[in-house]
Amino acid sequence: MKAFAYIRPQSAEAAAAALADNDGALIKANGIDLLDRMKERVDEPNALVGLVDVEAFDSIEVEEDGGIRIGAGATLAQLAASQVVERFLPSLAYAAGHAASPQLRTRATVGGNLGQHTRCGYYRHKSFPCLKRGGDHCPVLKPGGVQDTAAIFGNGTCASASPSSLAPVFGSLDAVLTVRRGEATREVPFAEAWAEPKAGWASDLVFDREDLIESVHIPARAEPQRLGYEEVRQKAAFDWPLTACGVRLVAEGNTVKEARVWLGSVAPTPLRSEAAEKVLVGKSFTEARARAAGEAAVTGASPLPGNTYKVQLTKVVVRRALMQAWGRS
Amino acid sequence: MSKSDRRGVTRRALFKGAGLAAASGAVLKPLEALAKEEGASGPRVQGPGAVKATLEVNGAKQTLEVEPRTTLLQALRLPLDLTGAKPVCDRGQCGACTVLLDGEPVYSCTVLAVEAEGRKVTTCEGLGTPENLHAVQQAFVDHDGAQCGFCTPGMVVACAYAVAKHGKDLTEAQAREATAGNLCRCGTYPHVLKAAVAAAKEG
Ligand SMILES: Cc1cc2nc3c(=O)[nH]c(=O)nc-3n(C[C@H](O)[C@H](O)[C@H](O)COP(=O)(O)OP(=O)(O)OC[C@H]3O[C@@H](n4cnc5c(N)ncnc54)[C@H](O)[C@@H]3O)c2cc1C
Ligand code: FES
Ligand code: FES
Repeated sequence: MKAFAYIRPQSAEAAAAALADNDGALIKANGIDLLDRMKERVDEPNALVGLVDVEAFDSIEVEEDGGIRIGAGATLAQLAASQVVERFLPSLAYAAGHAASPQLRTRATVGGNLGQHTRCGYYRHKSFPCLKRGGDHCPVLKPGGVQDTAAIFGNGTCASASPSSLAPVFGSLDAVLTVRRGEATREVPFAEAWAEPKAGWASDLVFDREDLIESVHIPARAEPQRLGYEEVRQKAAFDWPLTACGVRLVAEGNTVKEARVWLGSVAPTPLRSEAAEKVLVGKSFTEARARAAGEAAVTGASPLPGNTYKVQLTKVVVRRALMQAWGRS
Repeated sequence: MSKSDRRGVTRRALFKGAGLAAASGAVLKPLEALAKEEGASGPRVQGPGAVKATLEVNGAKQTLEVEPRTTLLQALRLPLDLTGAKPVCDRGQCGACTVLLDGEPVYSCTVLAVEAEGRKVTTCEGLGTPENLHAVQQAFVDHDGAQCGFCTPGMVVACAYAVAKHGKDLTEAQAREATAGNLCRCGTYPHVLKAAVAAAKEG
């Protein structure tokens, strides 16, 4: 790792000012992902703006109207242990509690989880070319490229897969990110936070160096919500999902009134599946219906020779997530 | 700690426009000198050169010279000579460097030493002494919890956390969950779990 100056503001405002004042400084939450990239010299910032000293950055609060606001500094362990999250957002508690490993969950923050860069092995090794690092092509797509964990959707120019297991859950919850830049904050709907791969754009988010995620807001809902999350991994610990699905259903009797289906780890960004939602809305819920939604979710998939298996896995996680949500009346 | 007590220099715009040059020799002046030159406004800044950091490790306060890039694992092993925590992957992917930070298990290879200031660090060495082993350490001896021993200090810390958390009723499933972030190349897992459960019963 190259030497860097470590700037330690105590408020989000001061952090934003420090980012503006120091060209090239990067945001550091707890550094699990960032230090990894710096040790590989994929990133060589001259300064880091650390969030460790920022006050109240890790709060999880129920707001007056019933919305829930999660500070970007809250850890996955906090999400998994929070009674509020367990009670109102069980799919989020499950996703957070099964990610990574116990030691990592103690430290991994929500902001860093959304901001983490792709796990693509080519991206993470400087000796390989990589579109995201400014190269002219994605080696995953070349004959002989390592493709097993790569994207099966939207993989035409870059086949990196979105790593976050929280992302499909936040998508299904219609989360809104509060993002600070300088003295102003703005609200960014989750679906608008993600950037399609383009040359030289390393992050999966649309935000640039000076944008600080302050919190994630889950809007209040009048009607009961049925939430589900399922994933498949190669290893139970120390690993990222191969495919994951977060869902939210609103029912009227046996009929699905509203559905949100988001996929993780199958495209360069988290991916909403409107095709799966269409199969569900206005219909009575059955296992066959959930299976049909799984089939619909993979329409348009463009798997690579090395990862066709992820199509089948994705059908299955969609069905399982829906069954889980429905069972949680 | 009041802001003015903090050792870090405060020079908010130092790196503005300076690019990588800022991280090179030019700014590596003694920090005391810089601190005097600069005003006390703006956030605390440490480094890029060596800074003093006072860590509380295994109950003793120690002041070290570390760079911001120094990981807690590096600080524990070299200046402090606590070689229990092992550098194996250095990427948060094996668990050999597990220590407790304010009582919670973390990978010390993913923590910056300067961030451990003001927090309590407990390593394998801090759990017991050779004459008076911690219950988990004794149980590892009794149940052959180690083969080559490389993962062992991390395993012991993870198990000690599980025992502290679940007490006498620690189940094998809970011990398995608590050690899910610790790899053992020798495959000693069944003995590790047995040792953890036995240590919990000992109290
Ligand atoms: C072995 C292993 C297994 C893992 N398994 C999983 C898994 O199963 N599922 C999963 O989801 N993740 C997994 N992870 C990833 C882990 O959850 C993330 O690395 C972690 O959440 C990052 O959090 P951090 O606080 O350490 O972020 P950092 O490393 O500090 O930051 C990560 C990135 O986000 C940016 N960033 C951080 N905070 C903010 C903010 N507030 N605003 C804007 N940008 C910000 C940083 O600039 C950086 O680019 C795994 C990691 C490891 C090492
Ligand atoms: S050395 Fe820290 S987890 Fe492997
Ligand atoms: S005892 Fe050899 S690695 Fe665990």
